[in-house]
Amino acid sequence: MDLVKPIPRPSTTTRPFWDGLNERKVQIQRCDACDSWVFYPRTRCPSCLSDLLIWREVSGQGVLYTYTLARQPTAPHFADETPQQLAVVELDEGVRMTSTLVNVEPSDIVIGMRLQPYFDQVTDDVTLLRYQPG
Amino acid sequence: MNAEIDATSEKFLRGKYAIVGVGETPYTRGSGTTTRALGTYAVRRAIEDAGLRMDDIDGMLSYSGNDSIPSTAVAGDLGIRLNFYMDVMGGGSSTEALIGIAMGVIEAGMCKTVVIFRSMNGYSQIRIGGTGRGSGASNLSGDGLFGRAYGQSSAAQAFAQTFMRHMYDYGTTPEQIAHVKAIHSEHASNNPKAYYKHRVTVDDVLSSRMIVKPLHLLDCCVETDNATAIVVTRMDRARDCKHMPATILSVVGRCCKPRIDNHYQAGPISTVAGHYAKEILWPNAGVGPDDVDLTGSYDAFTFTTMLQLEDYGFCEKGDGGEYVSSGIMRLGGARPNNTSGGHLCEGYTHGMNMVIENVRQLRGEIDDSCPTDTNGKRQHTYDYSTGGCRQVRDPEITANLGWAMPGTGSALVMAKGER
Ligand SMILES: [Zn+2]
Repeated sequence: MDLVKPIPRPSTTTRPFWDGLNERKVQIQRCDACDSWVFYPRTRCPSCLSDLLIWREVSGQGVLYTYTLARQPTAPHFADETPQQLAVVELDEGVRMTSTLVNVEPSDIVIGMRLQPYFDQVTDDVTLLRYQPG
Repeated sequence: MNAEIDATSEKFLRGKYAIVGVGETPYTRGSGTTTRALGTYAVRRAIEDAGLRMDDIDGMLSYSGNDSIPSTAVAGDLGIRLNFYMDVMGGGSSTEALIGIAMGVIEAGMCKTVVIFRSMNGYSQIRIGGTGRGSGASNLSGDGLFGRAYGQSSAAQAFAQTFMRHMYDYGTTPEQIAHVKAIHSEHASNNPKAYYKHRVTVDDVLSSRMIVKPLHLLDCCVETDNATAIVVTRMDRARDCKHMPATILSVVGRCCKPRIDNHYQAGPISTVAGHYAKEILWPNAGVGPDDVDLTGSYDAFTFTTMLQLEDYGFCEKGDGGEYVSSGIMRLGGARPNNTSGGHLCEGYTHGMNMVIENVRQLRGEIDDSCPTDTNGKRQHTYDYSTGGCRQVRDPEITANLGWAMPGTGSALVMAKGER
C-alpha cells in the first residue's frame, strides 16, 4: 500500500504562511493594534479582536519548548520517521509551534536548546517548517 | 490552603442532586456483542441498582468519541419513553460534564430522572488514537495544518509534550510517576471486575517498552470493550431509592485553559485545566482538597493522574511527583486514588468507571471479595493485600477529576448521604 502523508491545504487565511515557507521565509502574523504576535494564522487577534493582523517576516529562530520521541507511529504514514522527534518550538517572538526536529540525535535533544529553521519541501506546492540545532 | 473558600453559604445546587444508581458490563477485550447490547445491559443494571423501574426514567445522556449507540436505541430496547435525551461528542471529562447537564435539565423541568451511559467496543472496534487506522492521506486545514502535517496525531503524542515539560520545569521523574501504575495495580488486584488484576512494580513500569517519551507501555491505560451507566436525580426522589444517595456537592464541566484551540500558546504547557476548574469546584462544593477522603483522578496515562491532583490543589504546584510516590494514594493511605484500578487496570470507559467506584465507596458497598452476611451485605475486612478488601474506611467526601486533554477537564465532588 502506498501511504501518502497528510499534506497542508492552505486557506485564504493561512496561505501567506505556506507561501513564505516555499520561499524559505518564516512569516507570522503581528497585531498592529496591540503589538502581539499571533500563531497559528487567523482573521482576528485573540488578544484585542482587531483585524489589523499584518504578515511579518521573522528569523524563525527559537528554542525547544518541549518535545517527545514517538516510537510507535499512530498513523502508519509516519513509520519511516520512527522515532518521530515531535517538538514544540518557541520562536523568539514568543509564539509556539508544533514541528519535528531534524539533523539531531535523540540523545542530544534538550529542552531549551537553540533551534533554527529547516525548510523541507515535501511536494511541489508545500514546504514544511522543521527545526534543527543552531 | 482553603482560606478563601466560603463554605458557609449554599452555592447553586449543592446537595440538591445525587447519583442513585450505577451499573456496568464486564470489562473485556472482544465483547463479542454490539455497543447496543452493552449499553442496554449497563443502563438496565444502573436503573435496577437505584431500585427504580424503567418507567421512572425519562431522561438519557450519552457521549462518544469513537463507537457508541444512540440513546434512542437503548431507550427503545428498555421500553423507556423519554422526555429528554442528548448524545454528545466527547471522551474523557464527559461524565462529570453530563452529570451537570442532567442536573440542569431536571432543574429546568424538562425531565425528572436521567440515566447517563457510555458504551464502547474500545478494543475490538474503534481504538482511541486510531493506531493502524489508514486515514492519513487527507488534506489538512485549520489547526491540523500545524500538528498532523508533522505526524502528531495521537493523544499520547500530544500529552507527552506536557509531561516532558513538567519534568523539565519541576524535576518530576518517570520513577515517581510509575508509582501511579503500581498503586492502581494494587487496587485492581482486589477488584474482581478489573481487566488487569496482577500487581506490577515501579521497576516493571520503567522496564516496559518505551512508547512515546516519557511514557512506557505500562504508563498507558488498557483498551477494553464495555458499557457503564449512572442514574442522576433530585434529592427528593433520591431519598426513596434503594441505596444511600451519593450527594453531588459540586460539578465542573469541560473547563478550559485560555486559547483552547491551541492551549500551549497561553501559559505553561505543564499546567492543566484543573488550575482553572478548581476555582469553581471547591467554592461550589463548600469543601477543599484537605476534606477529600478519596480521589478519582483520571488515568489515561500515569502522568494525567499526577497533573490533575497537583493543579486541583492536592499538593503545591510542582510537587505532584512527590505526592503520587508518597504512598498517600494507596488503599490504607490518607487519600486513596482510583481504588478500582482505574483506566490503567480496571478498564477504559472515558472516566465513568471512576465515578461508579466512588459512589460505591461512599455507600460502603464496594464489590470486592470480602464475605457477605446473611442479608447479602458485604462485611469488609480492610485487609488490602492481594485479592482482599478495597473498601476505604467510612469515606465522607470524594472528588473525581476528569481529563479530556491538558487544556480541558471536568470534576465532581460527592458526599455520603443527604447533607
Ligand atoms: Zn491585538
